[in-house]
Amino acid sequence: MARVLIADDASFMRQMIREIIEPEGHEVVGEATNGIEAVDLYKELQPDLVTMDIVMPKRSGIDAVKTILADHPAACVVMCSALGQETLVMEALQAGAQDFIVKPFKPDSVVATLKNALEKAD
Amino acid sequence: MALDMAKYRRIFLEEAADHLAEISRALLDLEKEMGNVEAIDTLFRMAHSIKSMAASLGYAPVSELSHRLEDRMEGVREAGRVRDPQELSLLFRGLETLEAMVRTVADDRELAPADEGLLAELRATPERAAAAPDPVAADSPEAVGGEPKKVRS
Repeated sequence: MARVLIADDASFMRQMIREIIEPEGHEVVGEATNGIEAVDLYKELQPDLVTMDIVMPKRSGIDAVKTILADHPAACVVMCSALGQETLVMEALQAGAQDFIVKPFKPDSVVATLKNALEKAD
Repeated sequence: MALDMAKYRRIFLEEAADHLAEISRALLDLEKEMGNVEAIDTLFRMAHSIKSMAASLGYAPVSELSHRLEDRMEGVREAGRVRDPQELSLLFRGLETLEAMVRTVADDRELAPADEGLLAELRATPERAAAAPDPVAADSPEAVGGEPKKVRS
C-alpha cells in the first residue's frame, strides 16, 4: 500500500480523497493546500503517490507537477481535474503525470486509477 | 463504497460561505480596479471550488452556475480585466444568485434550476454579445427592407 500526499486547496476534496483511499490501506502522509506546499511537501515526505488538484492558489497544480517531475522523474502524480479542464489535463500528462481522476469523484474509479498509476510507476 | 454525504454537506456549507465571502471581497476590489489580477484569480478559483463541491453532492444548479461564473472569469483572466461596469454587475448578480442557492441548501429546501437568462448572459462573451443581432432592430422595417441598421448611440 502507498504513502500518499494530497494536494488540493479545498478541505472538502482533501477529506473526500482521504476517506476513499484510507480504507484501501493507503496512508495519507501529508496534505498541501497550494502548489508551493505541494512541491515542498513532496521533497520532505517523498510519497509514493501525489493526488494533485489543477486549480490551486499561489502556484497551480500544473506548475507544481512540472517542478516535482523535473526534480524527481520517477514521481507518481495523479491529477484531479474537473469538467472543462481537458487541455490542462493533457498538459499535465505530457509533463509526466501518470493519470487523472475527474471530479465529482467516483470512489471505485479513484481507487482503480491510483492502483493503476502505482503499478505503472513501479 | 458509500461516503457520509451529510458530513460533506456540512463541509460544503462552511466552505461555500467562506468562498462566497471571498468572491464578494474580490468583486468589491474589482469595483475599484477592474484589472486587479489577484481579485480576478480569486474569483476564478472560488467559483471553480464551489463548482467541484456542488457537483460532488449533486447540487446541479449550484454546480452549473458556478461553472458559468468560472468560465466567464477565465475569459476575464485572459483579457486581464473586467471589461466594463455591465460585466461587473453581471458578476455581482452571479454572486447573489449563488448566495441564495447556498441558503436554500442550508435550509434543506429543494434547489430550483439556475436562471436560464443569467446562465446565457454569463455564457455570452462580451464580443459575442456585441456581435449578436439586436432582436428589436432585426425585426424593424429597416432590417427587413435591407436598409442599413441604425447604430445605437
